[in-house]
Amino acid sequence: MARRTAALPLRDRIGSITSGTLAWIYAALLIVPFYYFIVSSFKDNEQIFESPLALPTTWDLSNFTTAIDQADLWLAVANSVLTTLFALLLTLVLALPASFALARARGRAGKVVEGVFALGFLIPSFAALFPTFLLAAALGLFHTRTFVVFLLPATALPLSVVILTSFMRTIPRELEEAASMDGATSLQVLRQVYLPICIPGIATVLLLNFLSFWNAYLYPLILIGPDTAQRTIQVALPTLKVDAGTDYGVLMAGTLFTLLPVYLVYTLLQRQMQRALLSGAVKG
Amino acid sequence: MTTLVDAATDTAAGTSPPGAPAGARRRGTLRERFPGLALPALVWYAVFMIGPVVAMFVIAFLSWPGMLVTPTFAGLDNFATVFADETFWAATRNSAVQIVVGLPVMIVLAFLLAFYVVQKPRGHRVLRYLLFIPALISAPATAMVFYAMLNPDGLVNGILAPLGFGGTAWLADPSTALGAIIAVELWSGIGYSAVLVASRLDGVDTEIVQAARIDGAGDWRIAWRMYWPIARDFIGVVTMLQFLSMLFNSAQNVLLLTQGGPGTSTTTLAYLIYQKAFVEADLGYSQAVGVVLFVIGLLGMGAIRRVLRATH
Repeated sequence: MARRTAALPLRDRIGSITSGTLAWIYAALLIVPFYYFIVSSFKDNEQIFESPLALPTTWDLSNFTTAIDQADLWLAVANSVLTTLFALLLTLVLALPASFALARARGRAGKVVEGVFALGFLIPSFAALFPTFLLAAALGLFHTRTFVVFLLPATALPLSVVILTSFMRTIPRELEEAASMDGATSLQVLRQVYLPICIPGIATVLLLNFLSFWNAYLYPLILIGPDTAQRTIQVALPTLKVDAGTDYGVLMAGTLFTLLPVYLVYTLLQRQMQRALLSGAVKG
Repeated sequence: MTTLVDAATDTAAGTSPPGAPAGARRRGTLRERFPGLALPALVWYAVFMIGPVVAMFVIAFLSWPGMLVTPTFAGLDNFATVFADETFWAATRNSAVQIVVGLPVMIVLAFLLAFYVVQKPRGHRVLRYLLFIPALISAPATAMVFYAMLNPDGLVNGILAPLGFGGTAWLADPSTALGAIIAVELWSGIGYSAVLVASRLDGVDTEIVQAARIDGAGDWRIAWRMYWPIARDFIGVVTMLQFLSMLFNSAQNVLLLTQGGPGTSTTTLAYLIYQKAFVEADLGYSQAVGVVLFVIGLLGMGAIRRVLRATH
């Protein structure tokens, strides 16, 4: 293709030249902030302001230790890990049986229930943050991680149910009928017939929700609050920004620290993660 | 979004096996007709998602000037207050600018990027890898990086100073603050939109494109006359996704970067809801704006759907 286009007159290549230039400018705009904040996390304010793009003179980790001490980042990571894991678990516990039932339902009720979940994409859950906060208070779970563990799966249900249901629809009904003949209950059919086949769908749902749960900000901020013993990493990070005299090196070190788990997962599971992100919106 | 995509696939799926249902329906037990295993998820979803939205509509009609005050019924008073408030109109203006300027720029650039990537030029793998980056980073992390870059001594001014522009406090200057917020949203939105659009363009039959090239169509024509119409309905879905995200989630960036200031120059409607509820404790006002935002969301989706409807 590239060789073919090169042979075309200039007038015909304007499209490629324009979009190519834009593409690489955007790529640079993606890389430069990264480079800047990574090198900044090894510098002090003076070096950052004087020579923003220079490599650090020493690879000193003191900004990281300061950031970790100042914002209790280890504790915050532990809270994020706990919240994310339990929320993921709860999402699967709720979404798997639901998708199983919806994929097999033949009547109108199934359609209606599916429609209710699909409408969920339109719900501006953020606008309803205050009533959510009241709900937390009413349940006696205000300022706890527990409430966020309960809430996050609810926000993830529409997409998870849609993805898993479409996966389960591809499984031939005969498989299930054969198992029922042998006297298997619904839950046994789900566990022994459907689950093994749905592993790719489950992986997609887990990766997608891992990203959104780990990166969640406003819900944990409002519902868990500033208590260092409970707050998640996303809430802890901005506390490194101080109105008067932010230490930018420390702030960038903290940011890098926050991003590491996501990058670790992205590097290990790049293919799956890209597929998950694509199906996340194509279905959603 | 899914509603729209699914509504189409549902009707398609519903009509495809015409022979089967008659026998199946007679055999259908209650268990098959009612998806009982979906109940826990449905209840969970109703309590944590639908409940709060319903409550939002109720609170919008209450006079509730603080958590410890007992709310009373206020009728349309909150809406009257909202519509008479300067700040509300400033927020509406800001949200309008954000969407009218930000959204078309984001979608057009994302389309051009996607068009470039699907031609598989040199380095397209690297590009695809990079385009995913913004989708991985949390709002606080993105905001902190931009906070560092846009501060008066930050990277942006560091680059501009030798060119003779310098010293702008991008986030603290009323004339640039909203632009800075939009720039952050473009930065994080373009890549993901491009990846999504590219996934649709990948499916375009290359033979038609080759034929058009032989007929002498240039790249620009191929992009806008062939790829755009083919991907139009899908681009519509991506546009809706980004529209809702700008409308509702802009509050996070505003909260992290400017807190609505200076003055009201970056107060968007979504941020106004947050501010009234959690800073000023004017709960009826806050939720009335929530209702307004909900309606704007629906109207905007309808408009986008109309403009980017499938034409083939």
